[in-house]
Amino acid sequence: MKKVININFQGRVIPIEETAFETLKQYSDSLRVYFANEEGRDEIINDIENRIAELFEDKIKKGATCITDEDVDAIITSMGRPADFDEAGAGEFGAGAGASSKAGSQASYASAEETVKEPRRLSRSSNDKILGGVAAGLAHYLRIDPAVMRILFAVVTFGGFGAGILIYIILWIVLPAAELDTTRVLRKRLYRNPDDKVIAGVASGIAAYFNIEVWIPRLVFALPFILGIVSSAFDRHWWGPGPVIFSGGFGGTLFVAYIIFWIVLPLANTAAEKLEMRGEKVDLESIKNTVREELSSVKGKAEKAGSEFKEKAQAWGQEVSGVAKERGKAFVAEAAPLARKTGSGLGHAIGVLFKAFFLFIAGIIVFALFMALIGVLIAMVGAFPFTSFFLEGTWQNFLAWGTIILFIAVPVIAFAVWLIRRLMRVKSQKSYLGYVFGSLWTLGWVCAILFVASISRDFKNQTPVTEDISIVQPSSTLKIKAQSEKVRYYDRSWWWNDDDNDNNRDAFFLNANEDSMFLNTIRVKVVKSDDSLFHVHTIKMSRGHNPAKAEEKARNINFSVKQQDSTLILPKGFTISRNDKYRAQRVLLIVEVPNGKKVVLDKSLNSYDWFDVNYNRRGIGWTVEWNDNWDRDYSWDTNVEYQMTEDGLKRTDNKDVKIKSGKIKIDESGVEGEFKTEDDGNENKNDGYRYKKSGADTIKVITPVKPEAPKTPEKKTKTTEAGAATESLFPFTKVIDVI
Amino acid sequence: MNIENTQSQMRKGVLEFCILSIIKRGEVYPSDIIDEMKHANLHILEGTLYPLLTRLKNADLLTYRWVESSSGPPRKYFLLTEKGARFYDELSATWNELANAVTTLTSANGQAQSESMTNTDTNNFNQ
Repeated sequence: MKKVININFQGRVIPIEETAFETLKQYSDSLRVYFANEEGRDEIINDIENRIAELFEDKIKKGATCITDEDVDAIITSMGRPADFDEAGAGEFGAGAGASSKAGSQASYASAEETVKEPRRLSRSSNDKILGGVAAGLAHYLRIDPAVMRILFAVVTFGGFGAGILIYIILWIVLPAAELDTTRVLRKRLYRNPDDKVIAGVASGIAAYFNIEVWIPRLVFALPFILGIVSSAFDRHWWGPGPVIFSGGFGGTLFVAYIIFWIVLPLANTAAEKLEMRGEKVDLESIKNTVREELSSVKGKAEKAGSEFKEKAQAWGQEVSGVAKERGKAFVAEAAPLARKTGSGLGHAIGVLFKAFFLFIAGIIVFALFMALIGVLIAMVGAFPFTSFFLEGTWQNFLAWGTIILFIAVPVIAFAVWLIRRLMRVKSQKSYLGYVFGSLWTLGWVCAILFVASISRDFKNQTPVTEDISIVQPSSTLKIKAQSEKVRYYDRSWWWNDDDNDNNRDAFFLNANEDSMFLNTIRVKVVKSDDSLFHVHTIKMSRGHNPAKAEEKARNINFSVKQQDSTLILPKGFTISRNDKYRAQRVLLIVEVPNGKKVVLDKSLNSYDWFDVNYNRRGIGWTVEWNDNWDRDYSWDTNVEYQMTEDGLKRTDNKDVKIKSGKIKIDESGVEGEFKTEDDGNENKNDGYRYKKSGADTIKVITPVKPEAPKTPEKKTKTTEAGAATESLFPFTKVIDVI
Repeated sequence: MNIENTQSQMRKGVLEFCILSIIKRGEVYPSDIIDEMKHANLHILEGTLYPLLTRLKNADLLTYRWVESSSGPPRKYFLLTEKGARFYDELSATWNELANAVTTLTSANGQAQSESMTNTDTNNFNQ
């Protein structure tokens, strides 16, 4: 007495003995394996099954109640088993069939007894891809499981700050696409198990691969979840309000890992795949056993839980309906070979999203690079008139040109060419183009490095030249201002900043004409004089190839200080000649103010390009006498009158800060607030202070809320009477008493 | 040397040609092809035929149409295309050449043998 089931076979309901069905299923699977790489495999199998269905129909019509074991065996014998198939006329069809059928027929010698001897080239797979087939291609080359490769990529991406993405994109571009046959070269592959899944079958797939019990990986995945929820129920304070889903970073990692596995690992649908999942040999015997196992597991589950049985039936129904769908497709049009599904629907969707995202990002990066290159090119062209200020000697000029052409222009051209070819889908057999561009670009690198080396050599030594300026002592106050001279300059206004607009400094030089460049890297230092007289010194600095040359260039700096009554008039900048070249020339003006005298620095001095003196001093070859007193300079604000006292420069205007607007908060801990001050003549409208009253009767100024500090790099800490230190950028911090 | 290998190779060579010639006579259904070949004493398995037909169709030598059948699933009826007809003609020419060549060679063997025998006979006779 045998159990009879109804199957939907090729669109017809056929009653068949269960054991006979097993045999039939095995046969169908063995055919599928046999024809794995045949072009039109699905059509062939469809035809064969069609034929079988026809024979079934005949039998039923002739009066049989159902298809029996004997019937199926007879039919299979007459159709022939895969092992018996002749390879008739393999690949001798002339122009039509092409290489794929040849490879297909070669590969379909049953059960991988003959391995395919094709040259192993590193390529990316065009038929087994989630994104670009990079992982599958690499895995094929290395003879490992593509899923492992994908996981590796994911790990490198998440762990290496997205390095994996970059590598993937590079490989995507570089590797050629190829049809890689997915014959089962691997004995064991990591799959997801659809028969035993709670969420997505990841855990059971892993269990099958490692041959361990299913609950072990499930527990591993679920443990952090559980721990988190349990512990958060106990101890709410530790982890904030609400239940915690993930217990710390480890749980989060496992969660992410599960998602990755879900996307990356394919579902083991067919019996052959299921065998691979377990690492068993794929042949008829094992397929038979697998199918039996599945059926028995169906029985077991049906007895245990009704819902799981429904799941199974759904899976079968899906598979069978898949076959029916196939037939329908073949009916309407020629059946196209179905690509091997490499992920569940979810994974596929995410894969598509990622692919689109990648392409988008890659496109943007590439576009930005391209634009940057073009920009650099244009800048180079624009800087051409000034190159003579930089480059000295024929060798440097040559290197500069070499760098521009080879280092910068070549990638731009190469990229443009590649883009055009990609768009036109030009397929070139010869890869010499790549080599040519690559070698040119390497040459460009060499040129660039030499160029940079050469230029930096020219800037190596710095020599300052000191000059004392004799001045007539003003009666009490010395005023310092800068005035522009008439200088002819270029009409084009690329990098120019207006002389009057002082806060805009994009280019380091102010102006240039045919034979001289106008720089404003000038700094004014105000220090206390040792005696009772005002002193003014200029230190002109320049860099050069060697100290002597540097000194010569320094001397050539044209910086003349004029005095008009008690006002020192400084030029807005100094010129350097084309012969001297630009070698980071700077002028440092030191103003020594004696005790008790006042000094006012005009706001026109703001137009100077500030530089850091201390850094310069650390350079090589500082041969000038440096009065250490000059280090103790004081910071100053323009358009403010200062008086030199025992303690340094102090403002002579009101000590009190006039409050313009603000808010105050007073409570037990003190007074806190923010207010904006009114500063006469100070154009920075965003002055502001925050203060906090901490002591009994004092308010300390904590931080001045000023977005742009004046050009004083030094910070001063002053101790107040209370003994605590405050930091400020203004010289007049004082403890303000509040009544 | 495995004789079965050689035998199967010989059969493989002419298989295509035979199938094409059956189809040339009119549109035909795979199962009929097998029957005809059985009658002609050239046995072929369904599992061999179907892939072959598919390959021929992919190479544009054959085309098919579906015919509904009251008893059973629809059937594919194959017919020869123009390209297929030309292909067949060439194969036919090749087959004729081959057949002639083989006949000549095999009978030449026999002829050489019989010649040497008659020589010795005449020798004997002369003596």
